[in-house]
Amino acid sequence: MNLIREIYQSIVRRDPLSTDKGKSELVFLNVWLHIHPAKVKKENLKFKHTFYLGFITFFLFVILVTTGIALMFYYRPYPPHAYQDMKDLQFVVFMGPFLRGMHRWAAHGMVVCVFLHMCRVFYTGSYKKPRQFNWVVGVFLLLLTLGLSFTGYLLPWDQLAFWAITVGTNIGSYAPLVGGKLREILLGGHTVGEAALLRFYVLHVAILPSLVILLTVVHFWRVRKDGGLSRPIWKLKTNKPEQLVTIGVPPQTAPAQVVAASQEKTYGLMEVVTGKPIFETVDPEEEDDAVFSYPFAFFREGIALMATVTGIMAISLFFHAPLEELANPAKTPNPAKAPWYFLGLQELVSHSALLGGVVAPTLMVLALLAIPYFDRNPSRRPSERKWAIWLFTLFVVANLVLIVIGTFFRGPGWAFVPPWVHVVAGAE
Amino acid sequence: MNRRSFLSWGSAGVVALGSGVGVSLGAVVRFLMPSVFYEPPQVFKVGTPADFAFGAPTFLVDEKIFVFRDREKGFAVASAVCTHLGCTVAYFQSDQRFHCPCHGSVFASNGSVVHGPAPKALQWYEVTLARDGQLRVDKDKVVPSSYRLMV
Repeated sequence: MNLIREIYQSIVRRDPLSTDKGKSELVFLNVWLHIHPAKVKKENLKFKHTFYLGFITFFLFVILVTTGIALMFYYRPYPPHAYQDMKDLQFVVFMGPFLRGMHRWAAHGMVVCVFLHMCRVFYTGSYKKPRQFNWVVGVFLLLLTLGLSFTGYLLPWDQLAFWAITVGTNIGSYAPLVGGKLREILLGGHTVGEAALLRFYVLHVAILPSLVILLTVVHFWRVRKDGGLSRPIWKLKTNKPEQLVTIGVPPQTAPAQVVAASQEKTYGLMEVVTGKPIFETVDPEEEDDAVFSYPFAFFREGIALMATVTGIMAISLFFHAPLEELANPAKTPNPAKAPWYFLGLQELVSHSALLGGVVAPTLMVLALLAIPYFDRNPSRRPSERKWAIWLFTLFVVANLVLIVIGTFFRGPGWAFVPPWVHVVAGAE
Repeated sequence: MNRRSFLSWGSAGVVALGSGVGVSLGAVVRFLMPSVFYEPPQVFKVGTPADFAFGAPTFLVDEKIFVFRDREKGFAVASAVCTHLGCTVAYFQSDQRFHCPCHGSVFASNGSVVHGPAPKALQWYEVTLARDGQLRVDKDKVVPSSYRLMV
């Protein structure tokens, strides 16, 4: 018995969770949990402040990695076999359609959640100092998410995949000077063929996920270093100067002493961990608002994880990922459409390949990257940043409108066909 | 180590390191450029003149070309690859035009753009008669749309 206890205590070295010290130690003695502070502000955990979109995006990524690895057991990235393996996943492999469905719907969900997360961060002004660079990291994560979706799109090697990638990579070849060579390197050839499939596979399962993990780590680390989740500023309580209490002491003065802190308060632990707010004056009201990460934050994150996983599972039970016929380079489906999140781009491209396919998206990405440095307005209140909000809303609406037009209003020959008109002749 | 030797060794080191990194990056790019393309040849035979009917062009699926045969003018070969984004165009005998299914580009029967986003006319390829009496198409040789082979 003593041996068992000794083994247990050698693994779990913290105090019991019934104590405040144990609750703190659970966080900072654990390599996986110590990205959290020991204590968090209860206000920051409110669902309606962030909608947990960042968490959900991350959990979707975890689902994608898990199901993706499972799918790799039954997939060969080589033209005729790739499609046969998809058929096997559809009809032969145990739980194949379910796994493929989860991978597909989680991928769509990740594109949506990454975008919504970006909107939330913009509208709450959370990209402002000191978080400017984390916004940039976030934009790259958005691009990587789109890159993962795009490379994954080819892998089934069906008609949809083949033509979406043919069109998509041809858009890239309009880039001045390097475009043609870039496409050649990406495809490993002049057309979408076996070399392209292998390259997309390597990008999809090795290179891009590694980059996502790398940047996600930086993204989370910076969120933590910048004081945790950023709640809307209008939810911050206004400081009442006469109630302020100084915690810690300025650097010059000798021994640190905690003012007006009861013995049970352990913020010393978390403040030392961040190193930042140690000399900050804290509103006592706010201070009372702080709760231990265990169980308050972990419980909510757990709920978000469960909801995400069960949601994706439920969808996958009822809706299977589509699979068209085998890729046929000779027969272009009419209309040939890119994945839905690129249909806005395709709509632009249908007007001008260079302007719509290269110039507009490049400017869009550059504009997104520049936002935190271009927007010098220090205020995070919506009433004081009307211009920024109007411009960003315009950007979001323009993208949505283009995607809706490309998805629902374009028929054979890319003709404008409202969705309620049933196209009969020439559709095949 | 004095200041002069520190600076000269230091700058030599920076140059060496920089060129090392540069060469490595170049090598990576070159590695990613395929040395061999396992793709269909650009020059190929498509059959004897008798295989092709007059009037409507014959579409060759794998080669992605249209073979036109006219009683007076002879043979001509057009690319079926849309110059916009690489979709395969279809020829409609009804209006004697090429239509691209992807973004609605329309080309006249001589390949020129009628409307749509396509920036350039469809390409025409050189077609010659090989010694064995078959028609030979060379996709590397782009010719004007007026090019014809009389057999």
